[in-house]
Amino acid sequence: MRTILILIKKEFLQVFRNPLLLSILIVAPMVQFMIFPFCADYEIKVLDIAFIDHDRSNISQEIIHSFDASDIFVTHGILSNKKEANEMMKHDKVDIIVEFPAHFERLLMNGSPTRIAITANAINTTKAGIGVGYTQEIIGGYMQEYMAQNMHYSGNEIPANLNLSHIYWYNEQMNYKNLIVPGILVILVTLIGCYVTALNLVREKEIGTIEQVNVTPIRRWQFLLGKMIPFWILGMAEFILGLVIMKLVFGITVQGSIPMLLGITAIYLFVMLGLGFFISSVSENQLQAMFIVLFLFIIFVLLSGLFTPTEGMPKWAHYINYLNPMSFYMEVIKKVVLKGSAFISVQKETLVLVGMAIIVNTGAILSYQEKSK
Amino acid sequence: MNALSVQKVSKVYNKTVQALRDITFEIREGELFGLVGPDGAGKSTLFNILTTLLLPDSGDIKILDMDLIADYKAVRQVIGYLPGTFSLYPDLSVKENLDFFAVMYKSDIEANMDLIRPIWRQIEPFSKRKAGKLSGGMKQKLALCCALIHRPRILFLDEPTTGVDPVSRKEFWEILQAIRTQGITVLVSTPYMDEATLCDRIALIQNGSILGIDTPEAIMKHFRGSLYTFRSADIFSLLNALKQCPLQCNYYPYGEHCHIAFYEDMEKAMPQFLQFLEEQHQEHGEITAIQPSIEDCFIEIVKMNSHE
Repeated sequence: MRTILILIKKEFLQVFRNPLLLSILIVAPMVQFMIFPFCADYEIKVLDIAFIDHDRSNISQEIIHSFDASDIFVTHGILSNKKEANEMMKHDKVDIIVEFPAHFERLLMNGSPTRIAITANAINTTKAGIGVGYTQEIIGGYMQEYMAQNMHYSGNEIPANLNLSHIYWYNEQMNYKNLIVPGILVILVTLIGCYVTALNLVREKEIGTIEQVNVTPIRRWQFLLGKMIPFWILGMAEFILGLVIMKLVFGITVQGSIPMLLGITAIYLFVMLGLGFFISSVSENQLQAMFIVLFLFIIFVLLSGLFTPTEGMPKWAHYINYLNPMSFYMEVIKKVVLKGSAFISVQKETLVLVGMAIIVNTGAILSYQEKSK
Repeated sequence: MNALSVQKVSKVYNKTVQALRDITFEIREGELFGLVGPDGAGKSTLFNILTTLLLPDSGDIKILDMDLIADYKAVRQVIGYLPGTFSLYPDLSVKENLDFFAVMYKSDIEANMDLIRPIWRQIEPFSKRKAGKLSGGMKQKLALCCALIHRPRILFLDEPTTGVDPVSRKEFWEILQAIRTQGITVLVSTPYMDEATLCDRIALIQNGSILGIDTPEAIMKHFRGSLYTFRSADIFSLLNALKQCPLQCNYYPYGEHCHIAFYEDMEKAMPQFLQFLEEQHQEHGEITAIQPSIEDCFIEIVKMNSHE
């Protein structure tokens, strides 16, 4: 016990004497929080839209008019044919084209299958995605209203026979800060857990202190625990600091249980700490460790659904994601922070993280023992 | 009881580099044993194995009758290790480093203060200074304190005086002699031949093999050739010319001099040699017979081994 305590004390002494590391620990979350959400603002202010109407019915006209009421859409009238529409899109005059097929109204009333085609300029995928989302929302809203008025139908569903080309999109309020800000929390915790730990241990290797410690009778697990606990505490402190900034600056409060969030974060940190140790035991120097962490980190972030929705990813990416601890943790954060989910809806993710923590740390201890007997 | 017994230890790196080849030697308790050899001889590899940092490929090692590999945990409690490079925490203070290693060894600073006091007294004024900011000699003393804090029974020192100024080197050897009087067995490696004479016994190591083990006096006594020294105006051209020398001899530059060991009957050989130098138009100073130093002996042993 005394051994582990002095290891922890030593680690904290070193952290607090390293002005650069200390300032990174404090300044990094602030800077990330202040800059990132504003740069990664996906909100779309203006969408240019045009229509092709082969039906010329009441419904199609009314749907077109309902777009006029929106603040976001700038309508460019009804075009005569597809060619003209393509030309306009080519010249960036419109972002979205909505095409009503012939006999649309009649088919809809008969209950026969029909469809409205929504074409979006996908050069800017985000804009296209959101544009399609908005368009669907408006058409869907109109249809509900129409059904309620004319068919005495009052459900939330649009008519079953109407097919709007479907793109799944999370975050209905279109408030991307809500998604980005908790995402930064995830990045912070990951960085402390994995990056700082890996570099710290490799540094001990570089300056040779690890050999000096290895010739003492202390046990491997004591040494690793003496490393883990300080960085675990730092990670938790960083997470809490992040929560405070999130609340003060963005007014985002944790909807779910904070103790539960801290508990799951603690588990996630152990996964990342173990990974950091594993990386350090296979790296010879800090540069190598840095490259490995960076490599994994980018994959983790891209797959985790922070910048891109995971739902839109191909199947194989989903399979890779089963190995990505960050995506599970991201899911937990989204659910607990934004939706206020209870434990029951994050227990699968929690269990996976516990399993990962056990596997990764066992791997770290084994690889460490193998190298140094 | 032997403090250390090494039997037929070999180590190969990456399946190609034979770092150690059938190393066998024993160190008696209380001995100051020197491992002498040039850089790359395998000294550090041997140290890493003896301090449980590296596994040998084959061989058997016993430290105080404990098996090094099976009982490595117990072994770690009785050995102290001063690595070749400074490896304490540079961002911790002198005192913090000492405290840290004392706890690592579950030892008590006060209880062992009498052992390290002579060294500690010299660095105590700097006890609040960061270890990384100490001078080279002070770093070495602090490292020695940390290696001794648990009163080890065997102390391993890997080239403790490499890169240290002559005054500090002398001082360091005095400290080693003092440690030894406390009943601690010392194994020290050095590339400096002059330091070898300060050991009770030395092992000469070259290319991963031990070429000879004996007391420095015995090694010097067993010098087989007749050794001479002389100066030359142009030592390079002299050494080139000596390649043609018909006599059985071994020559090498030694500081500003040239040392030459003859394996001949000198009454006949010396006139022949003088005549040879004349034929080669080599100007030279007076040729004097000298007693071989430990370095001369080492060079002879290396030469003999390379012929065999």
